[in-house]
Amino acid sequence: MAGNQANNKSSLKQIGLSEETIMGLYGNLLKTRLLDEKLRKLFRQGRFAGTYFSAVGQEATTVGPTYGLRDEDIIGPSHREIGAAVTKGIPLVEIIAQVFARRNSPDKGKSHPCHYGSRKKGIIHPSSTLAGQTVLATGCAMAFKIQKKDNVALAFFGEGATSRGGWHEALNFAGIHKLPIVYICQNNLWAESVPATLQAAIEHFADRAKAYGFPGVTIDGNDIFLVHKIAADAIAKARKGEGPTLIECMTYRWYGHSEIDPANYRRQDEVEEWRKKDPVSRAEKSLFDFGLLTNEKREALVEQIDQEIEAAVQEVEAVPYSEPEEAYRDVYSDNFPVRRVEY
Amino acid sequence: MKTTTYIEAITSAMAEEMARDESVFLIGEDIGLYGGVFKATKGLQDKFGKDRVIDSPISEVYIVGGSIGAALVGMRPVPEIQFADFITPSMDQIIQQAAKIRYRTGGQWTCPMTIRVCCGGEVGGGLYHSQINEQWFFSQPGLIVLMPATPYDAKGLLKSAIRGDDPVIFFEHKRLYRSIKEDLPDEDFTVPIGKAAIRKEGKDITIVSYGLMYHKSLEAIESLEKDGISVELIDMRTLLPWDRETIFESVKKTSRVVLVQENSKTGGVMAEVGAAISEEIFDYLDAPVTRVCGLDVPMLPFAPPLEHFFLPNAEKIVKAVKKVIDY
Repeated sequence: MAGNQANNKSSLKQIGLSEETIMGLYGNLLKTRLLDEKLRKLFRQGRFAGTYFSAVGQEATTVGPTYGLRDEDIIGPSHREIGAAVTKGIPLVEIIAQVFARRNSPDKGKSHPCHYGSRKKGIIHPSSTLAGQTVLATGCAMAFKIQKKDNVALAFFGEGATSRGGWHEALNFAGIHKLPIVYICQNNLWAESVPATLQAAIEHFADRAKAYGFPGVTIDGNDIFLVHKIAADAIAKARKGEGPTLIECMTYRWYGHSEIDPANYRRQDEVEEWRKKDPVSRAEKSLFDFGLLTNEKREALVEQIDQEIEAAVQEVEAVPYSEPEEAYRDVYSDNFPVRRVEY
Repeated sequence: MKTTTYIEAITSAMAEEMARDESVFLIGEDIGLYGGVFKATKGLQDKFGKDRVIDSPISEVYIVGGSIGAALVGMRPVPEIQFADFITPSMDQIIQQAAKIRYRTGGQWTCPMTIRVCCGGEVGGGLYHSQINEQWFFSQPGLIVLMPATPYDAKGLLKSAIRGDDPVIFFEHKRLYRSIKEDLPDEDFTVPIGKAAIRKEGKDITIVSYGLMYHKSLEAIESLEKDGISVELIDMRTLLPWDRETIFESVKKTSRVVLVQENSKTGGVMAEVGAAISEEIFDYLDAPVTRVCGLDVPMLPFAPPLEHFFLPNAEKIVKAVKKVIDY
C-alpha cells in the first residue's frame, strides 16, 4: 500500500495539476452531477414547469474548462452548461430559482429553465437559437482586445451548433483578429435526434478550426483532468494574445434532449457503452488511486452537497412567482416606460 | 453654424461621439480603408485607428452579434449594415439577442448598440439595394427604431442613440445623403428619442410621415396650399417607441389624417399608427384614416417607371389628401 501511494504521488505529478485543483475539479463535478439528477427528479415530480435539459454524462466538458476562470472572463453557454454555472460560482439558490422561474431568480422568471446566466459571474444567459452565444462571446473577446484587457471568453456549444452559419462567421473573425477566446465543442454524438454523421461529413469537428487559421484538438471529454489541462493551456495562450483554440470534447448525454424526450432514436448498447465512461466515476477512480479520496470521504461529501441542494430547493419553493406586472419591466432603459394596457 | 449634408451630419456625429467616449467603435463592410460605400465613415479609421474602425469580413451575423457581445462588456458599438437589404442574416442576433437580452435576464445584461442601416429607394438601386424594412423592427419591443429626415435630426438622433443604453436600429435614407443640406450649430446637441416633430402647423388635415416621405409630403403641401388646404405636417423621427401624444393631439385638432410611408402597406408602421388613432380617438375623426404607401409586392422593382409606380410621391399624397378633405 505504501508503495502504491508513492506511485500514486508520481502519477499525480504526471498529470501536472495541483492537489487543490484536482479536488476543486472533483468537487464541482460531483456537485453538478448531484444537482442535475436532483433537478431531473423534481421535474418528474411536477415541481417546476416547462422542461429540463440534463447534462448528466457530459459534465466534465463544462466543469473542466470553467474551473480557474476569473469573474471578468466571459462564458457564452448553450443550454447544457449547468456545470459552468456551478463552477463559475452562481449560487445554488440562483440556479434553482432560475429553473423554478421564481421571483428570486435573477431573470425574475422571464427566461426558460436551464438558461442560467449571471452578469456578476460573467455568464451570458443562453438563447435557444444555438450558437447564438458563440457569436456573442466572440464579440466579448473582440471588446477585450479593444480595451486591452487580458480577460478571455469561453464559448460552449454542441457539435450540432457548428452547422450554423453564425458559428462560422464568429470563428472566422476570431481567427483573423487572434481574439482571446476558447471554443469548447461538446460532441455528444447526437443533436437532439440527428446523429453527428448527418451533421457533417468530417469525423472530427475540431478540424473545422483549420479553415479559420487556429488550432483544433479532439480530446476525451469525459476525463475531467485532461479537459481542464488542455483548456487551461488554451486559455493561458488566449490570455497572452496568441489567439483562439477549438477543443472538441468527445462525450455523451445519458438522457434525452430534454426530460420529455425518451431518446429512443439511440441504441441501448451505445448508451450502456458510454455510461461505462462516466466522468464522475472515472474522476473518483483516479482520486482513489491517488490516495486523495476514500469511500467515507466521498459519502460525507455527497451528503454535504445533497443537504446544500435540499436547503436551496426549499428556499426557492417558498418564494412566489413574480407579480404579473413584472411582465412590463426591463423592456427598455428607464427612459422608455412601457405602455400599460387596460380594457 | 456650418452647412451640412445629411451624410456629413452622420459622419460628424460618429466622429464626435468617438472622440468623446473611447468605448464607441465602428464595425462593418468597407467602412475602414474605403471609408464606406457611401463614405459615411470617411477619414474615421485614419483618425481613430483600426481597432475602433473595423473592416469586417462579409459577415452580417458577426457584425451585429459581435457588436452585441462587445456591448455586454462595456463597449458602445456602432455597426453598419451597408444596405438594409443585407440585414436579414443578422435578424436572429437583432431579434433574439439585442431586443430581448435586457428583458430575459431581468435587466442584468444591457445592449447599448446602434446599428446604422442604409435604406430606401428612388436612387435606381434596384431590388436588392433599395429596400426599407423598418416594419420588421417596429414590431419588436425592446428595440428603438429611428429614421431621421433632416441633417439636424440625423446628427442629434445618432448621438442620442449612441449615448443611450438600448439597442437602436438607425435607418439612414440614402436618397437624402447628399440631396439635403442644413445649417447645423457648431456646439454639441442631441435630439430626444421618442419625440415626433411638428414641421408645419395647419388646421384642415394632418399628414404623418418620416424619412424620404417627409420630403414628399412637403412637396405635396406646396400644391395643397395653393388650393387653400391648410396642412399640419408631422415627422415621426422615432418609429419605436412612437410619439402617440403629438400625433393624437394634432389629429384631434384637424380631425383628418393621411399617413405616408415608403414601404408596402400591409403590416407597416402606419398600419399601427392608423389602428391606434381609430381605437383611441375615433370620436374626433371626420373622415377615414387614410394611408399612402408603397405597393404590396415583394420588393421595389428596378426599371425606372416601375420604381416610380411603386413609390408614394407628392402627386399621390395630394390625391389622398383631397379625397379625405372631400369625404
